[in-house]
Amino acid sequence: MLTRRHFLERGYGLGGIALATLLQEQGLLANPTLSGDAHQSYDNLPKAPPSFGKAKAMISMFMQGGPSHIDLFDPKPELNRLDGKDFPGEVKYDDAAGASREVMGCPWKFSKHGESGMDFSELVPNMAGIADDITMIRSMHTGVNNHGQSINALHNGSILTGRPTLGSWVTYGLGSENQNLPAYVALTDPRGLPVLGVDNFTNGWLPSVYQGTVIRPKEPRILNLDPPMSLKGAAQERYLDFVGGLNRRHLEERPGETELEARIQSFELAARMQVAAKEALDLSQESEATKAMYGIGVKETDDFGTRCLIARRLIERGVRFVSIFTGNQTWDNHTSILTSLPAACVYVDKPAAALVRDLKQRGLLDTTIVHWGGEMGRLPVIQNRAGAAKGDRKSVGRDHNTYGFSMWVAGGGFKGGHTHGATDEFGHKAVENVVNHFDYHATLLHLFGLDPKSLVYKRNGTDQSLITDPTARVVRELLA
Amino acid sequence: MKPRTARLASLGITVGFAAFPAGFATAAPVFEKDVRPILKAHCFHCHGEDGEKKGDLDVRLARFLVKGGKSGPALVAGKPAESHLLEVLKSGEMPKEKPKLSDQDIATIEQWILAGAPTARPEPETLGPEHQFTEEERGWWSLQPIQRPEVPAKKDPREQNPIDAFVRVELEKQGLSFSDEADPATLARRLAFDLTGLPPGAVIGDEDSITDYGSLLTELLASPHYGERWGRHWLDVAGYADSEGFNEKDTERPHAWKYRDYVIAALNRDKPYHEFVREQLAGDEIAAKLGLNADSPTDEDKARYAELITATGFLRMAPDGTQTENTLLSRNANIVDTMKIVSNAFYGMTIHCAECHDHRYDPITQRDYYELRAVFEPGFNPAAWRNPAQRLVSLQTKEQKAAAAAVEAEAKKIDDARLAKQEEFITEVLEKELAKRDEAVREPLRKAFRTVAKDRTPEQLALLKQHPTVEKLNAGSLYLYDTTYKTKHADTLKKMTEEAAAVRAKKPKEELVHAFGELPAKPEAIPATFLFFRGNPESPKDKVSPSDLDVLSGWREAAIPAKLAELPTSGRRLAFAEMLTDGKHPLLARVIVNRVWMHHFGTGLVKTPADFGHLGEKPSHPELLDWLASEFMAKGWSLKELHRLILSSHTWRQKSDRDAERDRIDPDNRYLSRQNKRRLEAEVLRDALLVVSGKLNPKAGGTPVPVMLTEEGQVVLGVDTMDTAGRQTGKYIPLNGEEFRRSVYVQIRRSRPLEMFATFDAPDMTTPNCEVRPVTTVSPQSLLLMNNLGMREFAQHFGERMMKECGDASVEEQVRHAWRLVYGREPVTEEAEAAAAFLTMQTAHYTVEPAKFEKSAGPAEANPAPARVMGLAALGHALMSANEFLYLD
Repeated sequence: MLTRRHFLERGYGLGGIALATLLQEQGLLANPTLSGDAHQSYDNLPKAPPSFGKAKAMISMFMQGGPSHIDLFDPKPELNRLDGKDFPGEVKYDDAAGASREVMGCPWKFSKHGESGMDFSELVPNMAGIADDITMIRSMHTGVNNHGQSINALHNGSILTGRPTLGSWVTYGLGSENQNLPAYVALTDPRGLPVLGVDNFTNGWLPSVYQGTVIRPKEPRILNLDPPMSLKGAAQERYLDFVGGLNRRHLEERPGETELEARIQSFELAARMQVAAKEALDLSQESEATKAMYGIGVKETDDFGTRCLIARRLIERGVRFVSIFTGNQTWDNHTSILTSLPAACVYVDKPAAALVRDLKQRGLLDTTIVHWGGEMGRLPVIQNRAGAAKGDRKSVGRDHNTYGFSMWVAGGGFKGGHTHGATDEFGHKAVENVVNHFDYHATLLHLFGLDPKSLVYKRNGTDQSLITDPTARVVRELLA
Repeated sequence: MKPRTARLASLGITVGFAAFPAGFATAAPVFEKDVRPILKAHCFHCHGEDGEKKGDLDVRLARFLVKGGKSGPALVAGKPAESHLLEVLKSGEMPKEKPKLSDQDIATIEQWILAGAPTARPEPETLGPEHQFTEEERGWWSLQPIQRPEVPAKKDPREQNPIDAFVRVELEKQGLSFSDEADPATLARRLAFDLTGLPPGAVIGDEDSITDYGSLLTELLASPHYGERWGRHWLDVAGYADSEGFNEKDTERPHAWKYRDYVIAALNRDKPYHEFVREQLAGDEIAAKLGLNADSPTDEDKARYAELITATGFLRMAPDGTQTENTLLSRNANIVDTMKIVSNAFYGMTIHCAECHDHRYDPITQRDYYELRAVFEPGFNPAAWRNPAQRLVSLQTKEQKAAAAAVEAEAKKIDDARLAKQEEFITEVLEKELAKRDEAVREPLRKAFRTVAKDRTPEQLALLKQHPTVEKLNAGSLYLYDTTYKTKHADTLKKMTEEAAAVRAKKPKEELVHAFGELPAKPEAIPATFLFFRGNPESPKDKVSPSDLDVLSGWREAAIPAKLAELPTSGRRLAFAEMLTDGKHPLLARVIVNRVWMHHFGTGLVKTPADFGHLGEKPSHPELLDWLASEFMAKGWSLKELHRLILSSHTWRQKSDRDAERDRIDPDNRYLSRQNKRRLEAEVLRDALLVVSGKLNPKAGGTPVPVMLTEEGQVVLGVDTMDTAGRQTGKYIPLNGEEFRRSVYVQIRRSRPLEMFATFDAPDMTTPNCEVRPVTTVSPQSLLLMNNLGMREFAQHFGERMMKECGDASVEEQVRHAWRLVYGREPVTEEAEAAAAFLTMQTAHYTVEPAKFEKSAGPAEANPAPARVMGLAALGHALMSANEFLYLD
């Protein structure tokens, strides 16, 4: 039986890869009690969930800014009928700068797709092609005011910043199947970090080993991955063994310092990543057909396609959680929605659909949850910040709507070809089978075989969990 | 002026500490204290605030609830079951479209109704502005006058000063006690890094002068490196950067560094904190009041003027995109960001959250936000906006200006002569060109050429097109005709240009300061401040007057005069600065004392240094915080005395070791039964590497060390030699030792954070400042330590240093020397043996496989380095990447 102790005592340079493999081959280690005891060791070794979970990994494509559900997934003929007229009900504006009551119908055509007949607008033709593999949730609701709060709600279950994000909780509960790559990866956009920056993938107060690691949006994707000439080979192996020894001695004299332990692990991981990450990020191993499917090599889709493909390669290699972000406020179409929304769609539509198809053809979709969505949708009325004349739609947009919006999920135990919930006839508020962020999180944890009662971390004498609302429920209607 | 009700000064005091844990009550809930905060956070927005009363219901008073709205009474006192309010809350119908209230909140309201819906006192007849806050809100702990709590009697013999007594009292309550004092070597290292950001060896001059802990403390506080270390902390809050940010252009700020140097000098001289604050808010107005200006007669006065003007750079630190993108929004963004910095730095409150609506949790109204903005509005003056270049303040004297004008006139003469000469040459060439052509075409062609371009007829244009050598003739192309006609006209003109430049070079150098200033204005011309509806600068509503937070008006003056008669400017900032630093403001001293504490312990007494409101954390030791704040002011606002007090305490000098019992009772160490272990901050890490590798260049102040992008896209130190299209030219300009200066002098380009800084959590100043740094532990940091070429440079310098200092010594002695240099201690046997083996093997390796020194920028080395140096470099590299180097005990 290998114990934690052995693990630490072993020189863990490049030579340590053998041990990591050995541990992997042993399969899932027993699940330690997740009590948050300060003297417990924290790691990313694979852990069995308390109950069976279909999902083993997750890729979240986070569309920060809030894609307009009524222009993409949730057709509302009533809006087109009332186009240009006064909105008949009450509107919850967020940003009253250009608030108006003038209804804006969807300027794009909707049609039904797949055997399931799921609705998509012409802006997302490729997503339409995977209709039968995804579940469309049309009744999302966070009901909080602005981007930051709603991002927090979806990432960490509360409107406050500083709590651990979903990816941290999942890796805390399950570890990772690959000890040579970070367990939780954030693939950020070359146009900038989303609103709230690194808080989108923070470990909050969970131990630092559960922090999301950024893989850069441009080459070199991971800085300092190659040893310099003078350190190649045995020189670095000896360096790592020696530093490892110094650090272990140092830790022995400072028992219980999880931070020092996390640093040791990050060093060991860094050493192994030199080979493993290089291989994982080497897209030359992919066929031209695969690359073309993701839109790689085509200007509009090259970046997002590349990141989606990297996400698949990471998941394939056992990484537990990957978040792919679009740029800061890419989907926040307050103005010029007629041009800005199509541009945002082109950037992701083909790659996102390709990711689902590719996972499916490789038999990975059954165990991988794929998520596509932002922190909000948009309002059915125009927002006219520029003061454009009535009827002039060129400069106008739509304001925030956290009261009803759409997102889709696929794989990992979610149904295919299913549309869940509904908003009112104007797409403003979720009215049927509402799914809030608590329910969404409860459902995800369930699919991973985790549950909020046992996935806890002790802090200041109380058990903390991802889900703070006891009324959260697993939305079984979404499950296959 | 809005009405300000006079209140008993004693009010805040009576509420004092007893009031801060709102909701701790065990007695029946009362409206003001228990129920109203819930309703305020969730319901006021639609039922009461801003004249909004959905369903005709106003919930701001208990009696309004009893009266009810369209759906009848909202509550029946004593009868929860008949109260409509409870029904809609329980069903989740209200708050509309928002998450249901927590069970606890609903239970509180239910108990309150059951108890007969009591209020703490008779409710007011009407709800005028003076009633916007309840006594409970006004009683919030951080808004109360700072107290001078009595120091508990000494009990534990280890207690050194009152800090320890306050801490010990809380420890006892938790069943904890102090840890012992750390050993002297640990303390020396901790102290040196804490105060100077450098290892002890680099800052202790004469070791013999250090006889005890006290003398070490005194020496370190006097070190000029103290200002560099603590200046960096302040620069985080101020959002200091050497570029404008806001958009991807991120234009450089060539003069901002003078503000950085001001901060460092002010801290080194222990400028009293209240003066430090006043100068940064109103240095220009202080100068005007003192009659100081660039023409002041003495050098001393001139220097003081320069210092005061430079201090106002604080208000110019926020990103400012108006040089490249001058719109109402970009201007407003600069003001909004500055307001956030002011709010973070001096109030430790999230006043900026009230930009668009009343603060949801704290007694800060949207009006408060704009009244505070009104203090700065005359300087910003959005209607007559000045972009960053226009805001630069010149320190030139009248004589220098006159001298400069005289030089300019002289240069202008040469310019004029050159232009005349140029015209003469053009005419000469034109005539030569014409002479080559048919007689008939000469005159029309001459006329077409001489006609101003926009007035040319189509015929003339066509004609010119047929004669390109005439058409293209102009000042810029003149040189091309030199070859044709064997003339040297271009040379002649160029010489004249150079001559003019040489004359201009004699101008006295104009020193410019990146400063905040206000143009003198008559009272009626001072720009007005408006409350912006929902924060939108395009929707100005009520006009507001300058004021501190209204919630303070119960026990101290909050209004600020709109114009000080004795100053040419509005004087608002000066009046505000004096009010803020009068020694009675509840926040200023508490906030800075807490920040200082945070940098000494890793966590503040208030864990959220920029949020002393409801969403922040309450102080772990409220009495200690107040005692420190009052002591700080009593000792003349001296930061160095505050450091001395904290650093002399046993609390600070404790060991940092954890044990199971302490961790069980107090896992986050909020009660301070030990010191915290801390990782070196990004800049400190780099500075420590510089020291250990023997390269630190202690040069202080001046223009920043530049950063550049490598071809790989990494940000390293170096002069940017990209061409105008943004391509790397590969040209390398040596930095000549500048690259070894302390990190606080490295350029902060918001869009190009130095890689080591960004990787180790230094802020990039885009948001716009940094209230508290995160501490992350991720593998890219380890990869940097392992593989980064900058790290290799430190290791190589270390190798060279070792060769110089002990190149001929035995391996064992070399190991001991390395330990002393890197860790400041002797290695234990086990370490020494492992290190000797490592050193021997690495040296042998490089003997067999010679390797070259590697660099992060510049031309590659041609020849391999000696194996012995490479071996020693390897040893240094390992020691400098290990946890003992990265963490302080």
